[in-house]
Amino acid sequence: MSDPIKLTVDGREVTAPGGQLLIKAAEEHGTYIPRFCWHPRMKPVGMCRMCLVEVEGPRGKVLVTSCTTPVAEGMVVHTKSDVVKKAQEGVLEFLLVNHPLDCPVCDKGGECPLQDQTLSHGPGESRFVEEKRHFEKPIAISELVMLDRERCILCARCTRFSDEISGDPLIEFIDRGNHTQINTFPDEPFASYFSGNTVQICPVGALTATPYRFRARPWDLEAVESTCPQCSVGCRVSVQASQNQVLRLIGVDVDATNQGWLCDKGRFAFEHLRAPARLSTPLVRGADGELHEAGWGEALDLIASRIGAVIAERGPAAVAGLGGARSTNEEAYAFGKLLRGVLGTGNLDASLGDDPGAALLAGVPHRATIDDLERAKTILVWGPDLKEELPVLHLRVRRAATALGADVVVVHPRATGLDRDAAHVVRYRPGEGAATLQRLAAGEGDLAAVRAALDTGPVVAIVGRTGLAESADLADAVAAFALTLADAKVMPVARRGNVLGAIDMGVHPHLLPGRVAASDAAARAALAAAWGCAVAVPGRDTSGILSGMADGSIAAVLLLGCDPVADHPDRKAAAAAFDKAPFLVSLDLFLNESNRTADVVLPVDTFTEVEGTMTNLEGRVQKSNRIVPGVGASRPVVEILEDLAARLGGSIGAGAAAIAKEIALVAPAYAAVSWEALDWGRGRDGIVVAEGPFTHTPERRATDPSVGALTLHLGRVLYDGGTMITAGPSLARLAPEPAAHLHPDDASRLGFAAGDRVTVTGNAGSAAMAVAIDPTLARGTVYLPFNLGASIGNGLEVKVEK
Amino acid sequence: MTWPDTTLARARDIIARYPEPRSAVMPLLYVAMRHDGRLTDEGMRQVAALTGMTAVQVESVASFYSMYKRHVGSHVVSVCTSISCHLLGGRDVLAAVSDATGVPAGETSADGSVTIESVECIGACGGAPAVQVDYELIEGVTPDKGAELCRWLMTAHPEVVHGDDLQTRFGGRRSFPAGPPDPVGAMGPYPAFGPLGTTGGEA
Amino acid sequence: MTDRILTVRMEAHPTDSHTMARYEATGGYAALRKALAMKPEDIVAEVKASNLRGRGGAGFPTGVKWGFLAPTRPRYLVINADESEPGTFKDRQLLERDPHQLLEGIIISSFAIDAHHAFVFVRGEYPRSARRLQQAVEEARAAGYLGRGILGTGFDLDVTVHLGAGAYICGEETAALNSLEGRRGEPRIKPPFPAVAGLYAKPTIVNNVETIANIPWIVMNGGAAYNAIGPEGSRGTRLLSLSGHVANPGNYEIVMGMSWRDLIFGIGGGIPNGKALKCWIPGGASAPWFTPDLLDTPVTLDDIAKNGSMAGSGAVVVMDETTNVVAAAWSIVRFFSHESCGQCTPCREGTTWLQRILERILAGQGRPSDVDLLLDVCDNISPGLRWPPAQTTICPLGPSAVSPITSIMKHFRDEVVAMIPGAVTAGV
Ligand SMILES: Cc1cc2nc3c(=O)[nH]c(=O)nc-3n(C[C@H](O)[C@H](O)[C@H](O)COP(=O)(O)O)c2cc1C
Ligand code: SF4
Ligand code: SF4
Ligand code: SF4
Ligand code: FES
Ligand code: FES
Repeated sequence: MSDPIKLTVDGREVTAPGGQLLIKAAEEHGTYIPRFCWHPRMKPVGMCRMCLVEVEGPRGKVLVTSCTTPVAEGMVVHTKSDVVKKAQEGVLEFLLVNHPLDCPVCDKGGECPLQDQTLSHGPGESRFVEEKRHFEKPIAISELVMLDRERCILCARCTRFSDEISGDPLIEFIDRGNHTQINTFPDEPFASYFSGNTVQICPVGALTATPYRFRARPWDLEAVESTCPQCSVGCRVSVQASQNQVLRLIGVDVDATNQGWLCDKGRFAFEHLRAPARLSTPLVRGADGELHEAGWGEALDLIASRIGAVIAERGPAAVAGLGGARSTNEEAYAFGKLLRGVLGTGNLDASLGDDPGAALLAGVPHRATIDDLERAKTILVWGPDLKEELPVLHLRVRRAATALGADVVVVHPRATGLDRDAAHVVRYRPGEGAATLQRLAAGEGDLAAVRAALDTGPVVAIVGRTGLAESADLADAVAAFALTLADAKVMPVARRGNVLGAIDMGVHPHLLPGRVAASDAAARAALAAAWGCAVAVPGRDTSGILSGMADGSIAAVLLLGCDPVADHPDRKAAAAAFDKAPFLVSLDLFLNESNRTADVVLPVDTFTEVEGTMTNLEGRVQKSNRIVPGVGASRPVVEILEDLAARLGGSIGAGAAAIAKEIALVAPAYAAVSWEALDWGRGRDGIVVAEGPFTHTPERRATDPSVGALTLHLGRVLYDGGTMITAGPSLARLAPEPAAHLHPDDASRLGFAAGDRVTVTGNAGSAAMAVAIDPTLARGTVYLPFNLGASIGNGLEVKVEK
Repeated sequence: MTWPDTTLARARDIIARYPEPRSAVMPLLYVAMRHDGRLTDEGMRQVAALTGMTAVQVESVASFYSMYKRHVGSHVVSVCTSISCHLLGGRDVLAAVSDATGVPAGETSADGSVTIESVECIGACGGAPAVQVDYELIEGVTPDKGAELCRWLMTAHPEVVHGDDLQTRFGGRRSFPAGPPDPVGAMGPYPAFGPLGTTGGEA
Repeated sequence: MTDRILTVRMEAHPTDSHTMARYEATGGYAALRKALAMKPEDIVAEVKASNLRGRGGAGFPTGVKWGFLAPTRPRYLVINADESEPGTFKDRQLLERDPHQLLEGIIISSFAIDAHHAFVFVRGEYPRSARRLQQAVEEARAAGYLGRGILGTGFDLDVTVHLGAGAYICGEETAALNSLEGRRGEPRIKPPFPAVAGLYAKPTIVNNVETIANIPWIVMNGGAAYNAIGPEGSRGTRLLSLSGHVANPGNYEIVMGMSWRDLIFGIGGGIPNGKALKCWIPGGASAPWFTPDLLDTPVTLDDIAKNGSMAGSGAVVVMDETTNVVAAAWSIVRFFSHESCGQCTPCREGTTWLQRILERILAGQGRPSDVDLLLDVCDNISPGLRWPPAQTTICPLGPSAVSPITSIMKHFRDEVVAMIPGAVTAGV
């Protein structure tokens, strides 16, 4: 877009950026031009013809589509002339010619622009007396999406989305002219991680989402804006509910994060909120060894007395807390304050050993924002397959590559969702990461061109764990390398929704709230003054806590929304620790692999049920809001923790709002954050917290272990065995079967074919599964998706046998 | 890949004629029809794999054009009913052809030997009414000749049809002098064009 | 003075005008040798001076179009051989009977615009044309007229013969480009025009077969000589396709300026079977119809336009007094409905609606309101029902379907009304 120009819209002179589309320029000046096919986040196609306006030209007025016409100096536009009105009414009538007008039974009824515009622009009764076009009524085009072709107005929003935005063109126009219809290929469903967006942007009720179909009428819905907690991208959502039940999530268009899009996990995982298995009352283990329903007073008294006893007998260092990465900042802060202040233990960690390390996450200098991708010339992605772990970040990188001309360099052991749009793809075998980094940094051999590409700034380096079998040191080394590049910013990434927030809130042995080093005695003293109690010195991190549990030195453990047995990369070590059965308390939504052996399980309110903030991977703090109550006797975490603190003779603060204010006072990086600011105006896009005071200097300290013929790539997939996925009916069935993926050369060397049953053995056990052939894998690698029920440990060494 | 090596080699030759592989989707769809006798899901998947498209993208392209047919007999008889043929009895030819075969326009005979279709202008308006068999042209066709043509197709089951031969036997007035005979024959419900490997039985 | 350019060879040599041997023996490829010795911009200047106008339908000056090319490279030349407008069969004759003439034009034009890859988009229903052209390409490559270093110069050129697959809309130039890119043949929004962003978004010239077949003659004889043929605005010769109710249908290469009477009754031999002329379409199915009151007006691009129609693709379809004009209009509307790409709501839905109203009327089930309804549906596709047409659509196909209806309403309204039970003749 170029310099501002002046044009006249309906007799009024207005100013707009040169080159801006007329439809947008008019809208920004208060003139709404009706439209169906135009969507501000996609290329215009000018197909529906609804947005026709008249523009004065040398040979009189010409009808043009305002969604395809850029404004120009001196342009004179009429949006409401008789000719325009007649043309728009004509288009509407044409659209209705074959439209079933089944508004009363259509999910879109009440929020349908076709219905609305028919009322405000269209002619009264139909002059079309012939038989309408018929198609088989809704057909399932995927597990999540239904298509009613009779309602479709052929606007190409869904097809453009899947081609242009998500890059998985699995729905298309079929046939031509008046027979044109949207469809999928026979036997190839619309299996896209982003399919729900097409439902959201379909202007009519042609695409509907199975989890929402017939659940409510739009006029019965209440809505509140919030932040998706499912991963650390932190997409803005509108949560819509009716009769105390969340019924759907709609992406909100903010420049900063999701630009309106959501992934299907974020969109549909809300089903777990009312899953039958959700805990609705406290559970206490009885003398019979079973968990029994209990009252809150009984449960909390028991916890207080048992923990009090542990502290009295063995000291506070025998107590530990894990979790907080799925909680709000306020909850995480309360958890940290309870442990460090009230209980006096420095054994606490929100990160489960599956991220690039708290130091890098919280302390990297020159942190990139997601929006920096809009300006990046080169983007290095050496981390997870973003499509599987941080889906909407994947869309933003894809946009940079396909629409903004950035060169993307992907380094990964196998094909990722970005490869097709990448300028360079580098494959390496897990265990050879450090050597690959060295060769890349030196621009050796085939990596010379890749290295050269990285010289074109601005560079954004997205750095994280490519897989869970590899050492986290590699990410640190990659970040160190990236920081040597010209004009570079680094985005360290971890998956869990609020992992950075929890670390920022001090749920980490070495960090106090607000990215302050816990080893700093003066900082501890200042915090102690604010808290009115002593602040514990640094203690153990997650692996330290797990080994402490295993060797008995940790005797009481609090879990806050956390399931280490399922999520820790070394599941065997985690299981061994939990087998030792210390006094275990879990605050959670469901029973899971870790809290099955708990002494007390407390049901908590969660996303959509509590108010608070979350910090995404950029360090952007955003507001989460409440729209429904929890289930049964569940309570907000902060209230539970305050009651517990009181029983132990302390206090962590009265309610999330008060805690939010306290965070701003004691956490330097969060000084500018307040709920008020986040609820209004530009603050709704969130506030990116300042860097520091803790700064981590990544070092190049990664080394490669010596490994055998086959190494393990333990990657994650979007739909895995996580409770948020398995608890809701819609997503649960999408998780793939576990399989051992092999490069065809390795498969034939070992004598395996696709589908063969094999036993895969890692450092922590064996599992039987089928062989899948993946020609995109680095040779010598076995790829195994994590958390799909087949667990063999996370060591690099792996064996595959018949 | 289910195509034989020679077909794959031809496909690669075709792709090499274009600056981008996707451009080859249309010629490759003809190759796919030649391989299967009609348009199939498998053929479209094959074309998708060769051009880097998704299968539904290939189907989207294929279904836009009327000559890629999923349901079609060994030969396709296309009767023009556009304006010039309409004025000179194209619809009578269509009716005669349907009568003779018992196959309504748009359908295929039970024995799979012919598909009858009514088509828009095939560029032979000066020789109206015009008919094509496997896109080989016959001009100046009367209803009787059209019926005779179809009966012949359904009884003789010719493997290959030659335009000039058809014209001599079933045609009349032409749009313009045709010049010397063309030796190339058509083999099926797709056009005969050397680079596609869809020709047959050269005379 | 020259009165024929394109059809001389095929008429003189009925058995082998399509071969390289005959082409070379009759002066073929001399123009190419001459052109290769010229500066490309001088060739463009000659084409400009010739005032050659495009033969594909729009009649845009060819040299001017070439001058619009954006400076970037690569550039492409696309020859539009999708000829599908009902009534039109002239390009087929040029392709089948004298493919080298076209090919020489392609090579010269490519050299002039600095294109190194040319595509000929031949409609799928013209396999014989494609075969003849492919054979010519192979002969030319063998003879060194195509390929690397043509005739010892540094000029390289590849020609790809591309077979369409049954979609009239691919005749629209941007639809042809989408089709060549392996997409649905849907017209693109213009601007950008192909000369700026065409095939693969690169500068591209799209020209009709007949247009380019004139290029060798223009290079050989000079633009001024071409500009001396025919009346102003319709320079050179033109291949007209005559069909319908005429005694002598066929393609005729004429110098424009003669009267319709001379064309239909002279060259065309009049209406057969002693019938009278009712009306004719002067320029293909998209064009509004003419009636006998215009028989003595000249056949030129400008006169036809002045009289409310267009010379279009040069297809003249004659209808005699027995013609059921509603059925004739239906045939044409059905054509456009069948060929609509379906992108634009008014074209996709409107053409089909028109077709169905006409079908109702033809079945004796018209309603008195249908007369106004037909015109109002037309008006919503082509507001104001003006000529040249306004459009609510992306390309002119939708509005083309309006022409037959406005034509019958204008000239034969009583006949339409008479077919509708209960409708009253206006009686004006
Ligand atoms: C619906 C439609 C169909 C067309 N069909 C053809 C065609 O079959 N052949 C052709 O040469 N031009 C056709 N044209 C015109 C082309 O768009 C384009 O103007 C022409 O190929 C340019 O070549 P010229 O300048 O040499 O005429 C068609 C245009 C429209 C709108
Ligand atoms: S399904 Fe919806 S989004 Fe897709 S083309 Fe139809 S109306 Fe548009
Ligand atoms: S990308 Fe992450 S934050 Fe966004 S919708 Fe998906 S899970 Fe939620
Ligand atoms: S006017 Fe008709 S053919 Fe042209 S682009 Fe629109 S729908 Fe397609
Ligand atoms: S909104 Fe502009 S054409 Fe559809
Ligand atoms: S109208 Fe039938 S061939 Fe042209």
